[in-house]
Amino acid sequence: MTRLEQSTTQASRFAVLSSLISGWELALVVALFAVLGGFAVGAPGFFDGIGGLLQITQYFLPFGLVAMGLSIVILTGGIDLSVGATASLSALVMAQLWAMFGLNIWLAAAVALVLGGLLGAINGLIVTRLRTEPLIATLATSFIYGSIATAVGGDNPPSGFPDSFNALGIGTVDPTGLIPWQLVLFAVVATATGLLMGRTSFGRKVVMIGYNSGTAYYSGIPVQRVLLSSYVLSGLTAALAGVVLAAYYSAARSSMGDPLLLSTLTMVVLGGVSIFGGEGTITGVILAVLVLGFLRQGLLIAGYSDMVTTMVTGVILLGSIAVKNTLSTRRNLLRARLRRWRTPAHSPQTNPTVK
Amino acid sequence: MRKTELLVGAFLAVAMLAGAASAGDAIDTSKKLKVAMVPKLIGLSVFKANELGAIDAAKKLNIDFLYTGPVTASAQGQVDVFNSLIARKFDVITTTSNNPTQLAPALKRAMAQGIKVVSYDSDVSPDARDFFIQNTAYPAMGKALVESVAKYTGPEAEVALLSSTPDATIQNEWINALKTYMAATYPKMKIVTTQYGQSSPSQSLTAGLNILQAYPNVTGIIAPDGAAVVGAAEAVKKLGKTGKVFVTGTSDPDAIRQYVKEGIILESPLWDEVKEGELVMYVARLAANGALKDNDTFTAGDLGTFTVKDKVIIFSEPLVFNKDNIDQYKF
Repeated sequence: MTRLEQSTTQASRFAVLSSLISGWELALVVALFAVLGGFAVGAPGFFDGIGGLLQITQYFLPFGLVAMGLSIVILTGGIDLSVGATASLSALVMAQLWAMFGLNIWLAAAVALVLGGLLGAINGLIVTRLRTEPLIATLATSFIYGSIATAVGGDNPPSGFPDSFNALGIGTVDPTGLIPWQLVLFAVVATATGLLMGRTSFGRKVVMIGYNSGTAYYSGIPVQRVLLSSYVLSGLTAALAGVVLAAYYSAARSSMGDPLLLSTLTMVVLGGVSIFGGEGTITGVILAVLVLGFLRQGLLIAGYSDMVTTMVTGVILLGSIAVKNTLSTRRNLLRARLRRWRTPAHSPQTNPTVK
Repeated sequence: MRKTELLVGAFLAVAMLAGAASAGDAIDTSKKLKVAMVPKLIGLSVFKANELGAIDAAKKLNIDFLYTGPVTASAQGQVDVFNSLIARKFDVITTTSNNPTQLAPALKRAMAQGIKVVSYDSDVSPDARDFFIQNTAYPAMGKALVESVAKYTGPEAEVALLSSTPDATIQNEWINALKTYMAATYPKMKIVTTQYGQSSPSQSLTAGLNILQAYPNVTGIIAPDGAAVVGAAEAVKKLGKTGKVFVTGTSDPDAIRQYVKEGIILESPLWDEVKEGELVMYVARLAANGALKDNDTFTAGDLGTFTVKDKVIIFSEPLVFNKDNIDQYKF
């Protein structure tokens, strides 16, 4: 195949990709309306006015915050298994600074965010400098951060934060109780992440590294620096989620972040981000956060047990991966057939080593 | 006589509204109630035993009963369930908490909407519930745990503690109580180590083996946690120390039956979980009726009479299982 031919196939492949992704997002929008409409009709108590519906977002938006940072890491082709432990540890450090040293809670929260970024930087440095697989590196740090969190928490982890701080988790912006603070925070973080990934060179570099890190490296992209930044951002959003969870529960516990990882991973994958990196959009992930979040709360309100909702989450994870893989297999098959049809004479030369 | 008059006076309005004439022990069951029981996690046999008793009592008390909870022992899962129960406008939420602080905001939201909250087994913060049913008084449990090994190891034994997690409220209360009792009654008895099995059977077994290997002089293990007691007993069995090291702890009888029969656990205190489940429903009914004061006494059918003190109801004295009585209890 000539170089020109190669580049045209690549171009058409990107075109196919982009049309597929937007189709995926469209499907998520439909799913979101189906979930909202279905439960509004079928589950009494789910739709209790717009205020009630927005209230429900408080129960799952911390997952959304984590999903933003995790998406960036997964887009690079990596993974961050330490998000839950990072959230717990950051929240506990904040709580202890407040409880033991009398630090202002907002100042302590700022320290927690810095700490989250640092923990992310440690992950990033292990991945880039020690050349460790992200899966192993962040699995190890999740154990380490989690153990430190348990130690920091002690036998009576702090609780009962000031109400002004708790408002971040359960309060609303307006006195009528319509728009939760969490929703505002998520909107800001999601917009920022969306712009970062969609409109800046950093975002393009992340996707290129995820698509093919070797090519990205030889194109002069500072792969290590971009990877490091992506883990810092993941640590930062995990810490932010930890702070919000602490406000939501008015308590910090070392086990608090445990449920974050698997649900968030599901959101990212359902959002259309390829688990191998290089493919997916933040818009898709935001939609997936809303779909999964409302679905779980709706099922609970409809009277299904946690057992059912957890199972449904698993089925959706499998289903979305399977659908994506099937689609991309079909694409590969198609391309393979096209290639065979177009370049039959090349086939002996492509397998010169076959005996 | 005066007491009865006071009682009649206090509940006149309620009684008139409900159309009930008697102010004595009869419980007003005219209005159907929606009551939920939210355990730490679903699928654990002790909580299942509570459910059995609750289902039984719910029928008598005109209660529409729902048993629901998270799949894993997480406070987050419990809060999700509470939120859904609030949306579904339940009358009473009863729960045993995974930790006291994290559940409080959600339960306070429930109370603000007029939902009564009754905690049992493991309490939540006192301002986040209307009543708490405590299994047994902590000092009584502390005493029962120490006596269950002291009788067999002698008063100068070296014992080890194997608990669940360092921040488990109820386990820490029991440990404090047993230390107090031990210091007063057996001053020469010594606690050589305290380890944690994270409520996981495999980690508890590892911790049990560690104790026995690192402290060969230990003759008793007190394990105030369901998984820990099984782990400790299995460790004794694995290392062939049956008859030399005695284990006690708090566990449902099903989980420890074989160890009791093998003589590794000679005595193990708990309480009757089935009957406790019944009591939870009686308290739920009375709380919803507005017929229970912060300090009060009441009769719960054939369970007998109970005292409310500062919103806390103590369910019973410890029930000590041994090889003679354990087969009477199936949970």
